[in-house]
Parts: sequence; structure tokens; C-alpha cells
Amino acid sequence: MSHQAKRRPLIALVAVAGFCLSAPAFAQFDAEAAENVFKENDCHKCHHATKAKKGPALKKIAAKYKEKKLDEKEAIKHMTAGQKVKLDDGKEEDHKIIDTKDVKVQTNIARWMLSH
Amino acid sequence: MDKRNSILPDAKMKILAASVAAVVAARFCRIGGQDAGTTAIDWDKITATRLTLFYPGQSSYEWLRDAAAHKGAASETARGDSCVSCHDDAKEEQRQGAKILRGNHPLEPIALPGKPGHVDVTIQAAYDDKNAYLRYQWKGNNNIEYPYYRYDGKEWKVYGGPRLDKPVQEGKQPAIYETRMSLMLDDGKVPLFKEQGCWLTCHEGERDLNPATKEDVAADPLLKAIKKSDVRKYLPSSRNNPSDWKSGKSLDEIARIKAAGGFVDLIQWRGHRTNPVGGTDDGYVLEYRNFDSGKNHFASNLDSATKQPKFMFDAGKFGAKAVSADQVGKKDNFLIQEQQRGAVRPERGLEGGRHPAEVCPDAGGCHGVRGRQQGLRHLEGRHVDGRGRASAEPYNVGFALHDDNITTRGHYVSYTKTLGIGAKADIVAVKLP
Repeated sequence: MSHQAKRRPLIALVAVAGFCLSAPAFAQFDAEAAENVFKENDCHKCHHATKAKKGPALKKIAAKYKEKKLDEKEAIKHMTAGQKVKLDDGKEEDHKIIDTKDVKVQTNIARWMLSH
Repeated sequence: MDKRNSILPDAKMKILAASVAAVVAARFCRIGGQDAGTTAIDWDKITATRLTLFYPGQSSYEWLRDAAAHKGAASETARGDSCVSCHDDAKEEQRQGAKILRGNHPLEPIALPGKPGHVDVTIQAAYDDKNAYLRYQWKGNNNIEYPYYRYDGKEWKVYGGPRLDKPVQEGKQPAIYETRMSLMLDDGKVPLFKEQGCWLTCHEGERDLNPATKEDVAADPLLKAIKKSDVRKYLPSSRNNPSDWKSGKSLDEIARIKAAGGFVDLIQWRGHRTNPVGGTDDGYVLEYRNFDSGKNHFASNLDSATKQPKFMFDAGKFGAKAVSADQVGKKDNFLIQEQQRGAVRPERGLEGGRHPAEVCPDAGGCHGVRGRQQGLRHLEGRHVDGRGRASAEPYNVGFALHDDNITTRGHYVSYTKTLGIGAKADIVAVKLP
């Protein structure tokens, strides 16, 4: 066996490890399915991809999560717990609870949102 | 009010009818204006705008402002935000309509299985120095008939009714009601119409929206003053509390609002009651859904004294005196006085026969069936208040389609759009040569 041939598995292993370490950035999701659930739940009425509506833009949310090193679990908690959210005018409202208890669906939509 | 108008040439009607289930052309113009009529318009050269109308269920003015029902949006609506500030997705109408009709939705207590949540409507607009012209095309479950009277051996009873009516829902009556295409138009003088459109006029207490009791209506000073027996569309400005139909302002106050232009025009093409004579309803909404001055197309065919139909079909012209059950929905069952007036003999030989419940009045516009061929629907009409003329500012408009043998809230509606007659807008009218 040549020296070069011995090195190939090692390179592959390093590549896989690198992918796993950066999993949050490369988390897989079905964008179409996520967007559909997002809109079926009327999330889009308050959250636009890039512009602020009643709620912050998805892009801003994703940036905030990245900055604070929050992950999709936090996002799922936010969309399922009905916690209070503070609006621009200072008022507080209960955040809408997403109409699914399927963790896979919740995870998919969280990953999609945080990909913005 | 002159409702006579010219019609599209037959050749064009055939072409259009081949590609769509229903075609409607509408016109509105100032009173007394002379016009070339729609025969002069080459609609193939007029820009078409496609709108999606959706099923709104019971989303009334009050529902929009109910924090428990319209979650997360009640305060925004109350402060005057537009519907589309939140409902701005490209497929919003399709999504909302489908959700409301999916079943068990709080906005639609009646099951309407199979009914589509939305309808696509193509609109074209044109104008000349005197008039503006609108033309609509859509595919739908269209019907041009109106409920009949039927002799059951003892008395004449209404046969058929709108789909949301209880006897129809219970299967005791067939769903029979005319298709209708409506336009609401505001020239910018109605507060919030630009933002919330037709929803300003839709209120609790109206028919099929937790209707007011006869006793409450009879006791209401405003409705008593205008001699009305039910609650119909009204604008918030006509009430001291816009969410309470019983809080009507005085007639003097309402007259001042009207004089200042604070009303919306309501122009309606009706498959049965206006279409056969090439007309449209010509009305407005302020404290009630009113007609403009002049005769309208409504007239009951039931003699209130004898409880018998006033007219039957002229068998020599129509082929029969009455309509048999198997001909409902298959013929042009219009009863137009000038054409088909006949003697009424309800006592014998008419068991099971039906008679259209409505006929055209003896207005100048009743000249017979026109503008109908192979499913083509044709709408023309005038309105009397000067709107519809070229303007540097676009008009705010809302559209509604009642198909599927339905009336009241069972329609498809649009979010507010703009119509430009010499101005940039969602729907831009083309200047005719």
C-alpha cells in the first residue's frame, strides 16, 4: 500500500469531523416545508424575512441568536411556550404558540428561521 | 336613472365565452353622460390585471378589532393599520380562504365542503372623456337564477334560496341564487377605506352575521327614521359607536357626511335582476346599503294582497307558462314584463310550476334579455354622483363576487386595491382614443 493511499481515509475523517463541528451552521432543513408551516401559522404576519413588521425580521432574529450563541432549542422554546414578547411601542403580548407538537416539524422551522 | 347601454358584439362574446365560464363587463360613469358604449372598446388591447378574491367568512369590522379573535392584530386594526400591512404574502388570499373553509374554523360555522377558498378575477379598465369602463372575467359556480314561487296545491311558497339559508342547509330547499359582482369605490374621502376597505361596511347585526332581532330593529331610531326593517352594510362614520349598529347618528349628521363625500359607491351586476336588461345596481353605502335616486331593478312578483304571482311567462314567447323542475338552471328563466307578461291562473294546472320571484320594474331600461350568450355575463351601469371620472389621484376600490348560489357574507372579497383613471394604480384604466 502506498503512502498516498494510506492518507486518504485520514483526509476523509478530518472532513467529516469538520462538518460535524460546524453542524449548527450547516443544519439541514426543508425550506419549503418550513416556510409553509410558518405561513400556515400566520407567523409571516409579524415576521418578514428581511424587514421589521410587528415582530423582528427573521434575519435580525438569526443574527441575534448567532451573537448570543443560542441554538434551535431556544427558538423552539420561543415558538411553543407562549412567553411574553415586548413590542416596539413598549406593550407586551403573548407570543403565538405554533400549532404543532411534532418536534421534527418544530426543529425544521427553527433551523430554517435561523438560516436567514 | 337610465340603465340602457350598448353591449359587446356577438363575435367578441363568443370568443370570450369559449375560454371562460363567465365574463362580466361593467361600466360606471356620471349621470347623463353620452358614451360610445362598450362596443367601441377593443378589450384585447386593454391591460388585464389579475386579482385573487378570497372567502372571508364572518370577519366583520368587529371581529377585526376583537383581541381574542383577531389575535395579535386587534390593536393594529383599531389604530388604522391596513389589512395588507400584515397580510402581505404573495399567496395570502389563497391561504386565508382555504383556512377559513377547511372546516371548524371560527370564522365559518357552516360547513361548505368543496367550496374553493379563492377565485381569480381578471379586471380590465378603460375610460374616455365621459365614462369609465370595467370588465371582469372569472371562473366560478355561476348561476343567473333567483328563487321561484311554487304552488303546492294550497298556496304559493318560495322555492329555493341562498346557500347559507337554514332551509337550504337543512336540505329542505335547493340552493338557488343569482351570481353577483360588486365594486365598492371611494375617492379618498372615507376614513380608513384605503386601509381596510369593504371590512368597514361589514358589521355584526347584518344578515348572516348574528342578525339583529326584528324587535331591536323596530326600536332603533335611525332605522326607524329611514324606514328599514333590517341592518345592512354601514360605514363607521354613521354610528356614534362604529361597532354598535344601534348607535346611529342623526339624519342631519348623516346628511352632512354624505354631502362631504363620506360614502362609498356600490355598483353591483346581478345575474338575474340586472343582467337581462343590461343594467347594474347603482347604490352607495353610508348609514345603510342605499340605492341612488331613480328606480332600481328590484320588484317582487308576488302580489302582496292576493299572495299570488303577478305574472307568468308568455307561453308564446317563452315556450311555457312556468318553469319545470328539470329546467331550473338550464334556461334563461328571466321574467321581463315588457317581453313575457302573461295572465296568472294559479288555481289549476300549475301544481309544481314555478315562477321567478322577481321581475324587472317598468323602468325605461327594461328592454329585454341582452348581453348573454354561452355563459357570457355582461354588466353595464351608471352611477350618479360624478365619480369614475379621470382624476390625478387613484380611487380606492374593493371587489366582491357572490357565486355558488350565495348571498350576504358568503362572497369572495379583495383586499383594498387602487383604480387609476389617469393615475398610477393597481388597476390602471387605459385612455380610449
